[in-house]
Amino acid sequence: MNPQFIMDGLIAGAIIGLGAVGVTLTYSILRFSNFAHGELLSWGAYLALAVAGALGFLSAGLTKPIAPFSFGWALPISAVIAIGLTGLLALAVDALLFSSFRRRGSAIIIMVMASFGASLALRSLLEFLFTSKPAYFTKALQIAMKLGGGLRATPDQLLMLGVALVAVVTVHLLMTRTDIGRAMRAVSENPALASIAGIDVRRVIRTVWFLGAALACVAGIMSGLLIQIRPYLGHDLLLPLFAAAILGGIGSVPGAMLAGLIIGLCEALAVQAVGAEWRAAVSFVILIAVLLVRPRGLFGKAS
Amino acid sequence: MTAPILSTHGLVAGYEPDLPIVRGIDFSVSSGELVVLLGPNGAGKSTFVKAIAGLVPIHAGTMMLNGRDITHVSPHRKVAEGLAFVPQTENVFATMTILENLQIAVAHLPKAKRGAAIEALFSRFPDLAARPSRLAGALSGGQRQMLAVARALALDPPVIILDEPSAGLSPKIVSEVFDMLKAINAGGVTVLLVEQNVKAALAIASRAVILAEGRIAHEGLPEELASDPLVGKIYLGTAHGHQGAPA
Repeated sequence: MNPQFIMDGLIAGAIIGLGAVGVTLTYSILRFSNFAHGELLSWGAYLALAVAGALGFLSAGLTKPIAPFSFGWALPISAVIAIGLTGLLALAVDALLFSSFRRRGSAIIIMVMASFGASLALRSLLEFLFTSKPAYFTKALQIAMKLGGGLRATPDQLLMLGVALVAVVTVHLLMTRTDIGRAMRAVSENPALASIAGIDVRRVIRTVWFLGAALACVAGIMSGLLIQIRPYLGHDLLLPLFAAAILGGIGSVPGAMLAGLIIGLCEALAVQAVGAEWRAAVSFVILIAVLLVRPRGLFGKAS
Repeated sequence: MTAPILSTHGLVAGYEPDLPIVRGIDFSVSSGELVVLLGPNGAGKSTFVKAIAGLVPIHAGTMMLNGRDITHVSPHRKVAEGLAFVPQTENVFATMTILENLQIAVAHLPKAKRGAAIEALFSRFPDLAARPSRLAGALSGGQRQMLAVARALALDPPVIILDEPSAGLSPKIVSEVFDMLKAINAGGVTVLLVEQNVKAALAIASRAVILAEGRIAHEGLPEELASDPLVGKIYLGTAHGHQGAPA
């Protein structure tokens, strides 16, 4: 068996993990499965692409690759802008759709169905704006470096792994060491108690939407940089994202990341062991197994 | 009597607009009082105090705190206004540590003052100071109640409302909790207490109010109510007016 599956799995797992952190945060605080979360990955990637394109139009020097990577300064600058824009998009969707359901005290199934609708609308809008033709941040070819142990990785891949690690550690520290992080955990556990403990629950909900969308944007950009950008980029990752959020334990940031890596490695292993056509089934099998054996996941708290 | 620090006027509240549980309550508490709300199960005591705290929708009437209308102020703003509420159950963040529970409580203070505020709470509740990294969910019933009260007192509120703080506690711990409430009141904090433990509550109260069917049925001095056999029999479910309340 080729050990390269480990590197492939870690890269895919980092993308899944980052997306799953957003899923686990929104699920634990908003208390419904947001099936539109995948679209935030796609929108994040396309927004970064659009901004990078605009920056490249304004200054061609910004598209010149920064050695040893395949992209120029336009991408990191556009990534920062896209993170903000994706966060604003999530806040807009919440303001237009979900907040009215919350005010009415709608059942969870209504929220879930609304998220399906939002997903469809956001994806269709992307296809309308950008077409379904694949797009790329860069078409520069990179040669994978030997890392030892039969593993190879391109500088872009190593950078993205580093970005994922930094993002998860940052979010974990935010959740455990800051006022807003403690407030988020408090709202996740008991929104009514949080409100009488002085926490502005609506502010926490806005923060969660923004943070989840920001992480989705980073995951989308990673996927777009390492693979390609398509309107279905996020939709195709939805099952692995939810499998990772549940495997990691709802509400656990490190759990979601670790579970993302586990799912990525299992997928890569399945590609080698039984064929690429079984890749998508891996998340489904893991999801069912976790729900049957340990529904609270690896790091979830017992209710 | 001094001007009321907390009052309600014609308050109607309940989870459904067509089914009010609180049916027009005119009520006031003066600064420094320890008022106990009594009444049979289903009288609307808990709903009334939850409505004051902002956890139950208000359909009519007004509510004033320190002369300010807080009828439709959100629960977290009421905390900042000086109204603290300790619910009967699920009154601590069980998955968080003692310290984290208190850090949430002092988050409204400037950062420079938070450490001193937490230290002051620890010196007031030394049981909590022993192991601040302990999960609140692992605490005993009495310790949880202490933490819940400490959390409520973190911002030095002028008014604290407690919903059945003795529920589910052993007689020894109940006695400690009531001693603590007495001390809090003696420190200048106005206390509004919902209780089923009639005898213990009347022993520390400066005034008692009996609710029945969502309205005020009786109010008076604790000793008057305790010695009134009719009040005890009809509203408190006690044979002689001063025994323990029904479960």
